[in-house]
Amino acid sequence: MDILIPLMVIIPIASALFLNLLHKNDSTIKIIAIITALILPVIALITPYGSHYFGGYAPLAQNSTIAQGLPALITGTQLFQFHPAITYVFGSAQQLMIFILVLISFFAIYTSINETKKPSGVYAFLMFMGTASVSAILLSDDIFNLFVFFEIAAMAQVGIIVASGIKDNYETALKYILLGNIAGPLLLLGIALLLGITGNVNITDIIFSIKNGLVDPYSPAILMALGLLTFGWLYASGLPPFHTIKSAVYSKALPHGAALLQAFSVFSMVAIGVIILRMFAYIPFTSTAIIGISLLAMVLGITMAIVQTDFKRIIGFLAVGELGYIGIGLGLGTAFGITAGLFQAVNEAIITAFLFIGFGTVLYKTRTSDTRKLGGMMFVNPKLALLVLLSGLAMAGIPPLNAFQSKLMLIQASIQSGLPELGIIMILLSIVTFMTFMKAFYTIYMRPKPAELEILENKIPKSTIISLVIFLIICIILGLFPQIATNSLQTLATGLV
Amino acid sequence: MIEYVLMIITVLGAIIALMQRDLLKAAILTGIPGISIAFLYQFLLAPDVALTQAIVGSAIVPVFFALAVLKTRRTEEEAD
Amino acid sequence: MIIDSQLMSFFTAGSLIVIGIFAALFLDNLIKKIIGLAFLADGVNLFIITMGYKAGGIVYILLPNMTISNFAQNASYPLPFALVLTNIVIGASTLAVMLGLIIVLNKKHGSISASKILGDKGEKIE
Repeated sequence: MDILIPLMVIIPIASALFLNLLHKNDSTIKIIAIITALILPVIALITPYGSHYFGGYAPLAQNSTIAQGLPALITGTQLFQFHPAITYVFGSAQQLMIFILVLISFFAIYTSINETKKPSGVYAFLMFMGTASVSAILLSDDIFNLFVFFEIAAMAQVGIIVASGIKDNYETALKYILLGNIAGPLLLLGIALLLGITGNVNITDIIFSIKNGLVDPYSPAILMALGLLTFGWLYASGLPPFHTIKSAVYSKALPHGAALLQAFSVFSMVAIGVIILRMFAYIPFTSTAIIGISLLAMVLGITMAIVQTDFKRIIGFLAVGELGYIGIGLGLGTAFGITAGLFQAVNEAIITAFLFIGFGTVLYKTRTSDTRKLGGMMFVNPKLALLVLLSGLAMAGIPPLNAFQSKLMLIQASIQSGLPELGIIMILLSIVTFMTFMKAFYTIYMRPKPAELEILENKIPKSTIISLVIFLIICIILGLFPQIATNSLQTLATGLV
Repeated sequence: MIEYVLMIITVLGAIIALMQRDLLKAAILTGIPGISIAFLYQFLLAPDVALTQAIVGSAIVPVFFALAVLKTRRTEEEAD
Repeated sequence: MIIDSQLMSFFTAGSLIVIGIFAALFLDNLIKKIIGLAFLADGVNLFIITMGYKAGGIVYILLPNMTISNFAQNASYPLPFALVLTNIVIGASTLAVMLGLIIVLNKKHGSISASKILGDKGEKIE
């Protein structure tokens, strides 16, 4: 029972609600947003591992003071094991993922405050609300609590798109929210089926009921719940059939917003994917379906990225394609494979944020994201061009950057599981990713500047450069010492098998 | 007995609301399934949910729709 | 009655869900799509409430003159009802956001037809 665990969700929500009230007060908004965003990583680091029980108490089995003197009617049955509270579980894997999430959110807020002329309290509100809800999705062991924060995260994402002011953003926002309002109730229907079968919404208890034969593990209702939960998962993470809308969402947000949005997708995907694996790994079809969807996401995402001409759309599709690697790690089902998938998730969240903020400087300088109209940016700022190039190399998996380690682990895991074909496909798609990135990089940075391209005089804020350099440092640290991340993630992965 | 009538009203009301060409009528008609679901909740032993649903389903949601229709357009346009 | 009321209520929830999904996917008018989504949310809520229902049971409120064991044996299951209360509020707020977006889009396009607003134009790759 640690008091710091709920603070990870409460502080961003409280700060968001407060920022929403401040409209004109620019410097106050700046100070409060930066301070809150700085506190969050610190909390994630100092909080000891443990569980928090909202509005209830620990299970009677772990709670000797309440359990004393209870009648055998209760102590003799499974009631003794169940969690009568909304449970938040904070372990080493959650710590790493929340740390990375709030770090990305810090840099997104930091760059947005310095790049936009007028810092907007409402925009910071949306970013903090999204961060809080995705942290809650990662922490929550209660499936209905997860659904509530799933809806809040979807609304925050819609808000971030609407706030961007890019052409046609309202259409994309409406499409995203319409799909979300189909996916949300269907996810709730899946949760309702699980509740109806097991009488519980706590994930640990549902698993206990399934594993111990309290319910029929192959009943049609459970299979239907699996299908509906998977549908919600696909929507939250932007795997096919939602890859088009998800990449459109990224391209209609401002670069810092997009950097945060993709972190939301990656971590929601990991959180809900891990829950699906924890509950349904005994059904052989689950892992096959996850691998199939992930392969589809990789192939569709990366091939559709080739034909795009808007560089934000290119990164959007590449980000969706990279999600497939995480899914393959989860779908392999071995402890090593799941560790590799989770490690890839952490890496991808950092690298894609790096890419979005890096390419965002081009948008900041030229006000256009059409690669056909761009060129010659290398001579405007060669150091920045080098940073962007390094981010692309990181995404493609070039040593010594971090995605190399995770992709290597994924390939080893697929060979160990007897599926070397997956490894070959992953290598091929990495090459295609690299090629797509280099094509975009060449047209934007290296070819001669088109005559009609106008480069604005505004200087790129220092905060953007600092963010990019820190992202690069994290990439190199994780690339050289992958044990830092994999040791934390291994506990969760071994618990799943 | 009355719950069966309410269930039929709910489904028919939903279908009729979606069949209107006049969007304001459709907006107001969404209140019928809303209020009959609220009564249904009362029969299904959930009085507190019934109270919330009675307010949200029969007043707030139709008013939202009616406001949206008044701010946009009254009739459905032909799809081309 | 031949069919018991709980089963019938499940069927009602199912038909609302089907009507809602049909309207959201196949009707062209955006307001009607959203009416469909409201029915979908209502259907799911009704489904959850029906799950907590206990035929011949009592309301889950412990009145002073009830014994605990009598209450425990007869009361309906209150957890689903707590979930639905939350979901009704979530549904109403997302509805408001969607309608707000439609009002903005109607100002821009002069239309609330999905094929005109979201059709080829929305998907166009620039």
